[in-house]
Amino acid sequence: MVGGFSILLWIGAVLCWIAYGIQYSNDKSSSLDSVYLGSVLALVVVLTGVFAYYQEAKSTNIMASFRQMIPQQALVIRDSEKKTVPADQLVVGDIVEIKAGDQIPADIRLLSAQGCKVDNSSLTGESEPQPRSCEFTHDNALETKNISFFSTTCLEGTATGMVINTGDRTVIGQIASLASGVQNSKTPIGIEIEHFVHIVAGVAVSIGILFFIITVSMKYYVLDSIIFLIGIIVANVPEGLLATVTVALSLTAKRMAKKNCLVKGLEAVETLGSTSIICSDKTGTLTQNRMTVAHLWFDNQVFVADTSEDHSNQVFDQSSATWASLSKIITLCNRAEFRPGQESVPIMKKAVVGDASETALLKFSEVILGNVMEIRKRNRKVAEIPFNSTNKFQLSIHETDDPSDKRFLVVMKGAPERVLEKCSTIMVNGQEQPLDRSTAKAFHTAYMELGGLGERVLGFCHLYLPADEFPATYSFDVDTMNFPTSNFCFVGLLSMIDPPRSTVPDAVTKCRSAGIKIIMVTGDHPITAKAIAKSVGIISANSETVEDIAKRLNVAVAQVNKRDATAAVVTGMELKDMSPAQLDEILANHSEIVFARTSPQQKLIIVEGCQRQDAIVAVTGDGVNDSPALKKADIGIAMGITGSDAAKSAADMVLLDDNFASIVTGVEEGRLIFDNLKKTIAYTLTKNIAELCPFLIYIIAGLPLPIGTITILFIDLGTDIIPSIALAYEKAESDIMNRKPRHKRKDRLVNEPLAVYSYLHIGLMQALGAFVVYFTVYAQEGFRPSTLLNLRVEWEKGYVNDLEDSYGQEWTSYQRKYLEWTGYTAFFVGIMIQQIADLIIRKTRRNSIFQQGLFRNKVIWVGIASQVIIALILSYGLGSIVALNFTMLRPQYWFVAVPHAVLIWVYDEMRKLAIRLYPGSWWDKNMYY
Amino acid sequence: MRRQLRSRRAPAFPYGYRYRLDDQDEVNQNYLADEEEEAEEEARVMVVPDLEEEEEEKREEEESQAQETGSAWWRKWQIVNEYLWDPEKRMSLARTGQSWSLILVIYFFFYASLAAVITLCMYTLFLTISPYMPTFTEKVKPPGVMIRPFAHSLNFNFNVSEPDTWQHYVISLNGFLQGYNDSLQEEMNVDCPPGQYFIQDGDEDEDKKACQFKRSFLKNCSGLEDPTFGYSTGQPCILLKMNRIVGFRPEPGDPVKVSCKVQRGDENDIRSINYYPESASFDLRYYPYYGKLTHVNYTSPLVAMHFTDVVKNQAVPVQCQLKGKGIINDVINDRFVGRVIFTLNIET
Repeated sequence: MVGGFSILLWIGAVLCWIAYGIQYSNDKSSSLDSVYLGSVLALVVVLTGVFAYYQEAKSTNIMASFRQMIPQQALVIRDSEKKTVPADQLVVGDIVEIKAGDQIPADIRLLSAQGCKVDNSSLTGESEPQPRSCEFTHDNALETKNISFFSTTCLEGTATGMVINTGDRTVIGQIASLASGVQNSKTPIGIEIEHFVHIVAGVAVSIGILFFIITVSMKYYVLDSIIFLIGIIVANVPEGLLATVTVALSLTAKRMAKKNCLVKGLEAVETLGSTSIICSDKTGTLTQNRMTVAHLWFDNQVFVADTSEDHSNQVFDQSSATWASLSKIITLCNRAEFRPGQESVPIMKKAVVGDASETALLKFSEVILGNVMEIRKRNRKVAEIPFNSTNKFQLSIHETDDPSDKRFLVVMKGAPERVLEKCSTIMVNGQEQPLDRSTAKAFHTAYMELGGLGERVLGFCHLYLPADEFPATYSFDVDTMNFPTSNFCFVGLLSMIDPPRSTVPDAVTKCRSAGIKIIMVTGDHPITAKAIAKSVGIISANSETVEDIAKRLNVAVAQVNKRDATAAVVTGMELKDMSPAQLDEILANHSEIVFARTSPQQKLIIVEGCQRQDAIVAVTGDGVNDSPALKKADIGIAMGITGSDAAKSAADMVLLDDNFASIVTGVEEGRLIFDNLKKTIAYTLTKNIAELCPFLIYIIAGLPLPIGTITILFIDLGTDIIPSIALAYEKAESDIMNRKPRHKRKDRLVNEPLAVYSYLHIGLMQALGAFVVYFTVYAQEGFRPSTLLNLRVEWEKGYVNDLEDSYGQEWTSYQRKYLEWTGYTAFFVGIMIQQIADLIIRKTRRNSIFQQGLFRNKVIWVGIASQVIIALILSYGLGSIVALNFTMLRPQYWFVAVPHAVLIWVYDEMRKLAIRLYPGSWWDKNMYY
Repeated sequence: MRRQLRSRRAPAFPYGYRYRLDDQDEVNQNYLADEEEEAEEEARVMVVPDLEEEEEEKREEEESQAQETGSAWWRKWQIVNEYLWDPEKRMSLARTGQSWSLILVIYFFFYASLAAVITLCMYTLFLTISPYMPTFTEKVKPPGVMIRPFAHSLNFNFNVSEPDTWQHYVISLNGFLQGYNDSLQEEMNVDCPPGQYFIQDGDEDEDKKACQFKRSFLKNCSGLEDPTFGYSTGQPCILLKMNRIVGFRPEPGDPVKVSCKVQRGDENDIRSINYYPESASFDLRYYPYYGKLTHVNYTSPLVAMHFTDVVKNQAVPVQCQLKGKGIINDVINDRFVGRVIFTLNIET
């Protein structure tokens, strides 16, 4: 209700009341028109404000519903009793119990822990499970193992802990407060509207002052001149535009919400369209945020696994006997299990108890082999050694599912180099072969290759224990290791990665062609980050970093010319030592940038660096750690499903389906609404001149007032509203996704050509057309134009009841008043008819109407119909109500302005033709808005 | 354990907490802060922020801002100046002289053609409009009524014994009746037969003759015998005329009559009115009116009301109405259609 437009309208309203005050002090019986006008202006601001508030509140409600989806509960020991209380009722000192699957209800220090692992991804963005114990291991609260943080999840094990911080004092609360400390800057469209308001105000004040000088020198009373001045300024205020823009934006917001982009503030709708840099978080935004098997290596070959969201087609060769062995190891040497009761859920969506790697392997084998639990049941587990960081392997011993085979099977997986150490043979095509130099080399090559892809590689091996040494009754003891742990047979490697979402590469390409630079900002390791960046196209296939060039040319990194590299991978460590100028240089000189190992604060720095480049920056993210950057960005985009509450509340937009591709939709809609708002504003500004000119002519030439204030209001808030909203439905003229994002300072919403063309070209033509209707009505009723000149003073004298017209007829003052209202109606109809032409020409800015299609946008025709119907109702339906100043107009007057409407359309087609024929010419520069 | 969290290293986050794995000595990554501040910040505890230092920072910021704003205004002024006239590129308002002249030429032609268009429109408009007969007349119908003398007001306040208070009425009436002088009327106009329309067939553009309405028809109110029109004796004359409407014809038969009475109050306040011509009516021979282009000497017929015995020293509201077939005198919004209301307040 404040700022930009609204201020303009408020000022207009106040000026109206001041004008009335002046008039009233002079003449107690002065007309209440300016009071009405002022009140209508105020009413428009208030109503639009309420509407916008309602729209935004609706989005906020959806946000709030996210928050309340899972009311968090905590199991707390109070008064020696275990109680379940809502998490927000915890206090420092409470003892809480945590078990696998729980969300940590506050920052807690662990008092006891059994195999507890937590997922800190909501805090750090990385989904690697981290073990928790009750030992103090590090000075830093964030690194020590005995503290778990609010909002992180316990993946496995159980723990008991004491609450040490709650609410805003928790780590997550602090990041959130860092986010809230970041000031929200103005939206680009907000800046544009402000610019527009400046233009309108500038035009209004300069015309007003110019005519003030003219009227004073014409010997009008100064008070009258001041009233004229106020009248001119107020006449320039586009009353309907605030409402129109608000409705147009909310229409787009609605359309975007349908496409799963939920926009929180109306003005943010456009921001994506202006975006020139997207800083995207990796985990969860570009990637699926779950480990997935990406590659396999066995039989001396690398196989590619399907990493798409549903794993539907695993195309690698599954006929080899080696695969049979490998798959058995994958299935058996795995502690992860599906949660019960999920029979109907698709495999990839099932919840799993276990860490990310094991989950990936479980799902992978479930997809390929079918019921894993059944296989495990058939191969009963007799002993196991779980994975730990010293061993770096995991081992289990099983009975085989072949009843005739009494041997035990030992399966092992772990870090490839550790696994290989324990092997003496390697399986190739189902046959065990001794592990010699060449096979070991092949292994290393494959290991390096997969590792170089940023993937986490695991080695798999097995050993059949001889039945005579280890009979079925043999009791295995994992502590004493009473079984062989060497001379295993190496079977294969398997690598996992958090794969990119399948829609991302396409979306990245689209953003690229739309001229948007995509920067990856992640807390992850640089190699993984670079690999993902390459696979989604953020670093394109043929571009190199400085390091790549150095490696290719075999020279030191320092010798490479940094300008040769299009891509850059910058780590947080490097970023820390950089001055803002150096960061600017990197941002400006490299088109493909990946920032790895960054902290929330550094994300902020990067966003600010981008904004220094005059870019409009979008930031996508899901974690709490992203929230400060989300807030700082011109538009923060949070993920709706995986995103944390903090990210969602800091963001301006939420992708309800977590689909990065929705951003492309957002960009498209944003650009479209920007173009269409241009059209709407041009449409609305045009008739401003047609409404202002009569008043100027009235002052200068002394004609009876051609159109009254109330009638103008009926145009601005009546006939013109629906058509100008209809322009928001206009389709794009060309492929808006193939052009560069607009320049913040050069491509303004309302630029000079738009204002000049609307005011001085079409606006003037409209005014002339409307004047022709006005003169026709007066002339046919008896007042020829020559008589009308300087008739104003006599005309308005209420006591002159025998004013002579051009034919010698004498008019009473009320008869003149009625004729004046007929003139208003005629002028109104003249503008309305020409606004139809204006509406049609505004459909396009460059293309011919015929290229665009007259009937593709049906809403335009609804608009035109509404215009005509409202005008008909005003003239014929309400023509008898004196206060509205409308009269029944003779039917023929409705057609007087039609030739002028056609002229406007022809003129604009000529303008567009010249623009298309001579792109870049003087005409193009000055006439294309 | 609470103490532990508040320990030296603890307050660091959320700034740069992720580094701690790689680099233990890393300080807070507040990029705004300089080295010293960082060191201090390290020692800062989480719950008790060092307020003093913050204030200092703020003050510094403010100072630098103040300096900036000063130079910012100066820079803005320079930008505006350069925009108005850029000596380097010889541009004014971001356009070169050539560009300006091109614009002037284009706008000249554009507006010239617009002027041509509007001229054409007005020309066609005049082609469709007869200079002799207005296209429509129903907005001036039914005819309005006006009185003379008229001086901005319909209140006749005057003191019989003070000629200054009524002299201007006399002057106004005299002036108004100049066109009705008998000599002039006899010279210019014809004496047409009373009681019937004075219809002049023939071409539209032919000059029409007008019927005489002589000043002497008004008898006592003609100002010929009593040059003060009765104002000096407290018996004011008021002339009433019907607004001219091209082609207007009163219904045949009884002519339109004028009848005055007290509008509100005692009916007898007026007591007697003499009408001149005595019929108190507008004769049919003055109709129709053919418009001022051809009916040049048309003189509107008048009815004079001579209030010979109106109550003195009090305001008497008088309403004079036209009466006749087809005459409307009760339009609510227009108090001058078929009627006129004025007050007489004669002091002695």
